[in-house]
Amino acid sequence: MSDLSHLLDSEPVVATAGTDMLAESIEQQGADVIRSDWRPPAAGTEAALAALAADGRNKDANATAVERLLAVRPQLVDVSVARDVFPDMTPRTFFHAGPPLTWDRASGPMRGAIIGAMIYEGLADSPEDAEFKAARGEIELSPCHHHGAVGPMAGVTSPSMPVAVVADGAGEGVAYSTLNEGLGKVLRYGAFAQEAIDRLHWMDAVLGPVLSAVLESRGPIDLQSLIAQALQMGDDGHNRNRAVTSLFLRELGGALVDGADAPVDQRADVFRFIDGNDHFMLNLVMAAGKLGSDAASGVPASSLVTVMARNGTDFGIRLSGTGDEWFVAPAPPVEGLYLGSFTEEDASPDIGDSTITETVGLGGFAMAAAPAIVGFVGGTAAGAVRRTLAMYEITLAEHPMYQIPMLEFRGTPVGIDAARVVRTGVLPQINTGVAGKVPGTGMVGAGLVEAPMECFAQAIRALAEELS
Amino acid sequence: MTARAVQARPSSAPVRVPAVASLALRHLFVSEAVTASVLGASSHAVWLHAGGDVLVVSTRDATRLPNGVEIAATSGTDLFASVAHGAPAVVGPGSLEFGSLGVDLVRWWNPRPALPLTTSEELGVAIGGLPHSVPGVDSGALRSALDAASPEDLIDASVALLGRGPGLTPEGDDVLAGALAAIRTLGTALGSRPALAMLDEAEGALVDAANRRTTTFSAALIRCAMRGEVAAPAGGLLRALAGRGDVDPNHRDLQRVGHTSGPALAAGIVLGAQSLIEAETTPNGGVQ
Amino acid sequence: MIARVEIHPGRYHDSVRLMQASKALQNVEGITDALVAMATELNLSLLADMGFDMDAVADAGPNDLVLALRAEDEGAIATAHQVLDDALTHKTAPSGGLDAPDPKTAGSAAAVADANVVLLSVPGEHAFVEATEALESGRHVMIFSDNVPIEQEIILKAYGADHDLLVMGPDCGTTIINGIGLGFANAVEPGSVSMVGASGTGIQQMCALLDDAGVGVRHALGTGSHDLSEDVGAASTLQALEALEEDPATDLIVVISKPPADPVAEKVRHAAERCTKPVVVTFMGETTLEEGAGEVLVVLGKPPAEYGAWPAENDDHRPGFVRGLFSGGTLSSEAQFVAATMLGEIGSHEEDEGHTFIDYGDDEYTQGRAHPMIDQTVRLERLAAATRDESVGVILMDVVLGYGANADPAAELAPLIEEAVTAGAAVVVSLCGTRGDPQGRDAQAATLNKAGASVYLSNAAAAREAARLAIARTSA
Repeated sequence: MSDLSHLLDSEPVVATAGTDMLAESIEQQGADVIRSDWRPPAAGTEAALAALAADGRNKDANATAVERLLAVRPQLVDVSVARDVFPDMTPRTFFHAGPPLTWDRASGPMRGAIIGAMIYEGLADSPEDAEFKAARGEIELSPCHHHGAVGPMAGVTSPSMPVAVVADGAGEGVAYSTLNEGLGKVLRYGAFAQEAIDRLHWMDAVLGPVLSAVLESRGPIDLQSLIAQALQMGDDGHNRNRAVTSLFLRELGGALVDGADAPVDQRADVFRFIDGNDHFMLNLVMAAGKLGSDAASGVPASSLVTVMARNGTDFGIRLSGTGDEWFVAPAPPVEGLYLGSFTEEDASPDIGDSTITETVGLGGFAMAAAPAIVGFVGGTAAGAVRRTLAMYEITLAEHPMYQIPMLEFRGTPVGIDAARVVRTGVLPQINTGVAGKVPGTGMVGAGLVEAPMECFAQAIRALAEELS
Repeated sequence: MTARAVQARPSSAPVRVPAVASLALRHLFVSEAVTASVLGASSHAVWLHAGGDVLVVSTRDATRLPNGVEIAATSGTDLFASVAHGAPAVVGPGSLEFGSLGVDLVRWWNPRPALPLTTSEELGVAIGGLPHSVPGVDSGALRSALDAASPEDLIDASVALLGRGPGLTPEGDDVLAGALAAIRTLGTALGSRPALAMLDEAEGALVDAANRRTTTFSAALIRCAMRGEVAAPAGGLLRALAGRGDVDPNHRDLQRVGHTSGPALAAGIVLGAQSLIEAETTPNGGVQ
Repeated sequence: MIARVEIHPGRYHDSVRLMQASKALQNVEGITDALVAMATELNLSLLADMGFDMDAVADAGPNDLVLALRAEDEGAIATAHQVLDDALTHKTAPSGGLDAPDPKTAGSAAAVADANVVLLSVPGEHAFVEATEALESGRHVMIFSDNVPIEQEIILKAYGADHDLLVMGPDCGTTIINGIGLGFANAVEPGSVSMVGASGTGIQQMCALLDDAGVGVRHALGTGSHDLSEDVGAASTLQALEALEEDPATDLIVVISKPPADPVAEKVRHAAERCTKPVVVTFMGETTLEEGAGEVLVVLGKPPAEYGAWPAENDDHRPGFVRGLFSGGTLSSEAQFVAATMLGEIGSHEEDEGHTFIDYGDDEYTQGRAHPMIDQTVRLERLAAATRDESVGVILMDVVLGYGANADPAAELAPLIEEAVTAGAAVVVSLCGTRGDPQGRDAQAATLNKAGASVYLSNAAAAREAARLAIARTSA
């Protein structure tokens, strides 16, 4: 039956945007009306939004892009070594989190991590030596994202480091990430003391090879399934990963105990290491997200946000329809809880590729599944739920597998549409840890941050430009 | 109808809500106020007895009835919570009040669906294999009466059906109502004069029979049905059968009304429609 | 075992909804295999992998829904269709009763309530994006906003025509659907006369005249003021005409607008002639709404109407020009058209000398203010100024009632009308309203009349009276 005849055969149900008077007069007539809380889009984006709307390809392109994002089946298939998996990695190439960055613009934790990695790789004898060489440009810096990889916090990835290999069970894609060192004085927070270096050596000598042997023995591990279960156990996939790490350890289980071809004391050390690190799975969850992100990239006319990432100085995003272009703005301050006697003064700007989780329906977009996180990032449990609910306004789909029990098992909001961010003013909500700005301090707190509007405004203008 | 300003009027009702009312109830709301009483109430509806009429005040999420006033609120707002059986009500120009609720009539709707003209061939196709009976109601006599377009037989068949079964509207009543409404509306759309004449002649006795043999509420709906005034979902089905709209979703919507009412109404409509086709296609069918 | 592959063109659902629907179908007893998805490459290859016959989907594209079933018998297939229907019409999973933030766009609000009409009054530069979202999600759109570029209007209306959705506007102030008014609209009795209008106040006046003559209205579809321009080519008008021609509840159609350019007028008349139902075309400027209403009454077989009038008692007023202070642009133009036949030229700008009729709804006078139909401040000032201006002998004003308009315009006007009459000016009011209007039409008329104004329900009649009064004093 045609829609126009249906309009004439029934009483209209009306949705309004704009002056309240119009909605009020409908109510006075006893008819059905719902109002929207409309506000104008971000300044300077009207023309781009109109161009996108007029183009007509945007809606279908977004549908395609988000479908590809949701179609991946991430599986941990191996743990290898950076120099062996990255064709563009040289002895003097380090990858890092976030958009492109140069040494002179790098923040404290990022510099600390680069210094630490240089010492680890034997490229420098001391921190001073490392700093001197880095400032002279002896190290090539490149974003992890450019190489199919992601890294939390500083995310520094160097040739000798073990990397997790996450492959798509439903396609051809592969994504990579370093392994999580744990908390405290660790490289990713900018620590370069001997303790951090020694740990890195142990990881490449023992952790990596043992995990590789385990995977050889028991076959690939389905990460999607673990994440989906963990969401119903109080994890959010970004700042709270205790449940998923526990599930992971069970997956390693038998093979770690006696199947894997590795010395027993090493296998025991690996068990203890993972057991003692509630955040171990973060890196793997991120790599699983990267897999979806890469799959969704490159759909012409799509305004789907495929990447959100920070390098400690800038916050950068990428869209599916604008190729490799980064849209950057200064990293915004984090609103949060500080540990011990630390304060905002001690905080380094937002850093890390871990916002890949928010890009695929986790983290801030799944807070309603992990209300306990407010003990970590601040706020109230009801507030946590509201933040997730607000995200449905700017996303294209509801995740078919990541479900939130207290929202009647509604799928998490997934597939951020940059056009909707710009139109509604609703910014992606991110849960994040905060690094100390003095290199080597480690974590000083955790909190909530919103992605900066400027990135999305730039991106939409670029997309409109691309379409014309 | 004299208009009422939508602002608060001097009255004892602290809660006021706008409403849309069936044109069939117009006569109750144009002259001086009448005292009425509450027959019953649920979260979705309040039944009132006003003069010789029964009307129902219902929420927006309840079925819209031909003798109904629909308020601009859903049952979730619990506006009928404190309304008790036997409580007084006032039905007056432009509004009605009971309990602490004041209902302002701001709009009217026509309970008789407007149907496009159609032919018995098209009607036959539209009906397809839709059920024309419900278990527990023997509608054979009714069908024969309608096929023959005989007012006397119709009255007899109705007497046998009225009041049969539990509930506010017994199943037999619903089948009869559906058939009567179909004859009136689809009969007009087809131009079936014998069928319409049968209804006109039977009207008086049928109304009497309904008043005597069934609930006041159901009798009111039978009277409406004779004039082609039906619940909104039934109107949707009648329109669809006449060629305006899709039959299946409208049929399903009607099936979902009430426990047994919906299916019985739907079956009655189909039965009535079939008899119209029968009359059209049988030579001398229904001619007295 | 029966294998069935069906294409449902033009039905779009998001992939999540479809994945859930597929699951539901697989659970139906008697169904061994089921897939429902948009016919994208990915899904079509999935379909092939499942061993279904691909011939049926040869022409399918990503906007088409494909349903593939492997069933034991026809009964299972029928059940599957039912299940699919339920799954796809089920609303998005509710959020368990928790306090969700308000929807931020008309489109997302429409999705929450499953609205079928989106009504936009956002600033003109933002209307296109909102309207596009509404249309793409299958909803009709009424754009109250003006200052929308004509190119955008053309795009929207082309999309609407392709998808059987009506675009009402931009600059559409009035629409009535099944007796429910959107925008500025009067309360109407249910009836079988429907209208299509490019002018909001034109629709309102026609409703008021018909109402006074006892004729009810079913629909009044606003098309926006630019629909009959050559660029837009009457797109919405023609679409609405066709829909009303097919509407079983409409027996007579009225078309209302300012006179369009010849080719467009021709298109409209031609379409009107092809209708089997009677169509009364009223191009104001060629004719008046009063005449149009009269034609409607003739077609309906009703006697000619004498529209309500409350003449002023006082017959004595000073000589001078007619000053028209209007809130509705159409009422102003019609009044000018009528009065000019009796008075000669009438100016449209405040600086003009002689008779002048000003439309205070024009952008010039509404900066930072609500429309004069709501906020009478500017007109009240001008009324006082006209009283003081000895060159003015007759003051003519429109007062528009209905939903959306000022709650009690007569009360605000009465004191100033009294002063004007005391000072010697004659005041004529064109009262546009219906018996059911929330302000109380007759009470408003009585208040204005008591203050000394002559009140007419017909705008043309009010204009004639104003002209007559001015002429009566010129020979003095």
